[in-house]
Amino acid sequence: MHIPDGFLDPKVSMGLMGAAATVLGFSFAKVRSAVTAVVPQQALALAGKGAGTLVSGGRRVLTKFGEQKIYLMGMVASLVFAAQMFNFPINQGTSGHLLGGVLAVVLLGPFAGTIVIAAVLAVQSLFFADGGLLALGANIINMSFLGALVSYYVYAGLKNYLPEWAGIAIAAWLSVLMAAFACAIEIGISGTIAFEAILPAMLKIHALIGIAEALLTLVLINAFRKMVPAQEDNP
Amino acid sequence: MRKVLFLSILTAALAAFFASSHPDGLEKIAEQLGFMQKGLAGHSLMTDYTIPFISHPALSTTLAGICGVIIIFTLFWGFAKLIKKES
Repeated sequence: MHIPDGFLDPKVSMGLMGAAATVLGFSFAKVRSAVTAVVPQQALALAGKGAGTLVSGGRRVLTKFGEQKIYLMGMVASLVFAAQMFNFPINQGTSGHLLGGVLAVVLLGPFAGTIVIAAVLAVQSLFFADGGLLALGANIINMSFLGALVSYYVYAGLKNYLPEWAGIAIAAWLSVLMAAFACAIEIGISGTIAFEAILPAMLKIHALIGIAEALLTLVLINAFRKMVPAQEDNP
Repeated sequence: MRKVLFLSILTAALAAFFASSHPDGLEKIAEQLGFMQKGLAGHSLMTDYTIPFISHPALSTTLAGICGVIIIFTLFWGFAKLIKKES
């Protein structure tokens, strides 16, 4: 459900671009503190690197865990990108494809997963003209903020009551519906088409696409966990 | 790492042959409700997952997909290398 340029009013696009920048900035800060550690000055001085870094509080360096984490993010991102190319038929000449938000946050944690989906959307928009450049903010809010970050908390909440697979399935289905809902609202607000027309249509078709999202997410999470040695959940 | 990348490249490569070419949910609704023409056609390096100078459609999409996977992974891998070097 990548929105192309032209569907949205520029005011809506720009507002959502700002919102997306805020979400990504926050997520980036969270991931940064998870993948780096503050090294005290003294340690650096002993290592012979201290001369140029005589600032108070030491400096942040990438940890071994952090490096592995970023590679892991790259792997999940490439998997989501590839899976998104694989459109599956739904009905009446319509297709759907994986959004991958829940897949990313279950494997990587909420903030790293959010960044991964945003990176995929940015590359699709920049290199493949899949989703407009001006609409990138809207697409990030729909599929990365709602589809990944918010959906993580749906998944985390459900995990307390249900087996993990059920929580993943429901969160994945809801993630598609939330993204479709937001997408319809954004296009409606822009005056492109009436709410009454687009909202029910989007929710109806994506209720079906969401079922495929849930199944694919479960299969891919299983496959990923088999291929990559177990990682503890982290930001 | 290799297994996941292999799976990604394989999926991207096979998408040209097995993926449905029907419009996705949003596109279909835009057609049905008649606002599709408001969308501006985008232009980029590999517009609509094709490489412009390769005329064979499946081959073009396959290569564009593989390029995409490589671009995405390189982005993260390069980022890790970059900040590792800095620290």
